[in-house]
Amino acid sequence: MECSFGLVGKGYTLIASDTNSARSIVKMKNDEDKIKVLTPHLCMAYSGEAGDTVQFAEYVERNLRLHQIRHYTELRPPSSAAWIRRVLADSLRSRKPYQVNLLLGGYDTSDDTPHLYWIDYLGTMAKVPFAAHGYGAYFALSTLDRYHDPTADLEQGLETLKRCIEEVQKRLIVGLPKWNVKIIDQDGVRELEI
Amino acid sequence: MARRYDSRTTIFSPEGRLYQIEYAMEAISHAGTVLGILAKDGVVLAAEKKVTGKLLDLSGAKEGGYGGSGEKIFLLNSNVIGGVAGITADANSLVNYARTAAQRHLFSYNEDIPVEQLAQRLCNLKQGYTQFGGLRPFGVSILYAGFDPHYQFQLYHSDPSGNYSGWKATCIGANNGTAQSLLKQDYKDEITVEEAVGLAMKVMSKTMDSTTLGSEKLEFATLTLDATTGEPKAKIYRPAEVDALLEKHGLRKKDEDTEMKS
Amino acid sequence: MSIMSYNGGSVVAMVGKNCVAIASDLRLGSQALTVATDFQKIFPVTDRIFLGLPGLATDVLTLKERFRFRVNMYTIKEEREIEPETFAHLVSSTLYERRFGPYFVEPVIAGLGKDNKPFIAATDLIGCLTLPKDFAVSGTASDKMFGVAEGLWEPDLEPEDLFETISQTLMNAVDRDAYSGWGAIVHVITPDKVITRTLKSRMD
Repeated sequence: MECSFGLVGKGYTLIASDTNSARSIVKMKNDEDKIKVLTPHLCMAYSGEAGDTVQFAEYVERNLRLHQIRHYTELRPPSSAAWIRRVLADSLRSRKPYQVNLLLGGYDTSDDTPHLYWIDYLGTMAKVPFAAHGYGAYFALSTLDRYHDPTADLEQGLETLKRCIEEVQKRLIVGLPKWNVKIIDQDGVRELEI
Repeated sequence: MARRYDSRTTIFSPEGRLYQIEYAMEAISHAGTVLGILAKDGVVLAAEKKVTGKLLDLSGAKEGGYGGSGEKIFLLNSNVIGGVAGITADANSLVNYARTAAQRHLFSYNEDIPVEQLAQRLCNLKQGYTQFGGLRPFGVSILYAGFDPHYQFQLYHSDPSGNYSGWKATCIGANNGTAQSLLKQDYKDEITVEEAVGLAMKVMSKTMDSTTLGSEKLEFATLTLDATTGEPKAKIYRPAEVDALLEKHGLRKKDEDTEMKS
Repeated sequence: MSIMSYNGGSVVAMVGKNCVAIASDLRLGSQALTVATDFQKIFPVTDRIFLGLPGLATDVLTLKERFRFRVNMYTIKEEREIEPETFAHLVSSTLYERRFGPYFVEPVIAGLGKDNKPFIAATDLIGCLTLPKDFAVSGTASDKMFGVAEGLWEPDLEPEDLFETISQTLMNAVDRDAYSGWGAIVHVITPDKVITRTLKSRMD
């Protein structure tokens, strides 16, 4: 019952994820940060099979860090996304594929554009203006179709994001009370209170 | 004495030298000159061809392909051209390696390989041969002229030991000392591609052994940005275009040797 | 539920007089849920060859990149551009390499060869080539497109008429297919240029 959202606005990308960590029907933890900061201008919301998620996120995090150390430059968001997708696509045809779905939010400092990528465990990738994973997708995508504006300022963007979260809280049978929201813009990644 | 230490690349001499690498560098200093100049809006490569003659079949270089006669200057990737000096057979193998490495990067990251990373990849290979593997290192120095969004236009040089460095203008092969001092005299920051082409032509005409200067002796290439797309555009000149360029800079030398090209 | 229709999408190619056309829809789905409405399934191979890859989207992306790799290496080594026939065999052998664990994609190839000879081809997911004289269809709306194309296509269409024929074929088939749609893109390859147009269809 995990759920994550992402949307792009004017000069920023927002990523939101619920903070539940559950085993079967039991909620084990309600302050789990499921958005990993990968590079100064890139972060990744992950969900899926318990164990695979954190393992995969840390694998990606350490490899991108290694790249940065080796080459003195951070990978730009499109290149990072392409590489992460390849890891998942290769994994899909291995003995035990990673079952992890991702939203990748980034800000490209070389041409000042916000990026958002929807990636699933198969290695399907799409560059999108807004995205959702989990059951929330079935409720919030139509909300986003109606209210999303790629030229919206941060205040309006957050307003749209809140609408999505409220929609999920209202209609999904499982309560997702706490949310973790991160913004990526030219200043890097920050956490936001909503 | 020396012979005890130079039969393998992996053994230091008592003075701490690796003779095989020094021999490789020596081989390169007899090879055709390759010269590179970094300008603010592009990079220029010029090279002296050594394999010439009346009977050499150059019909392939006149049309088709991406230009060039495939002896000194090669397209390594859409954003990098390479100029090679040394053992031609070794160079061909390295060029193939570079092209594959560039495509592998494109495959993994969906972006053109940054120029320095390509140079690094080749240097890793070259360095390996000074320590492991075969009997001798690659007898090749390479100039890489390229563009990437990280550092814009760049010019790198790599040698048989696996060292590499970035340059504003440099030269490898025969007479590289003379060429380098000429470049040092005439290079100025903020040089344009147009001026760099002229400078390259001038330096080549002074350093080449032969009295002739024509397309049968020269290879030439530029890397600039396409005015409409903003993408890097590599241009390796065809023989006729090299001759036209020489004509334009008044460096075309006429004698019986140049007649043979027709 | 078939893997081939997990993401949805359809491609069609048609032969005209000294020209060929290839078209696809733009939907990317996750079963019945639409994820993106600008997902490209047709990729330029050279200036005169296009490759359409309907099927499982992860394999669409992987194969696009694999073919780019192999075509780039071919071009730089051969110092000339690949011919459509050659490329079709490259596609076929690349897919057959994975005979017992295939890429879930059924490609369609359209291009102009030497002397502007029209060429279209299609393969199944393990690389069995078919070289139709008229049109090739593939994807979740392929059965419907067969029907419409059979009725609309005629020999020796000029580029503009071919554009109309292929657009109508695709859009009418796709409108009856829940897994394809959300607009379309059409490329008409003529000897001197490629005409690319994006179309709006039923945007639901």
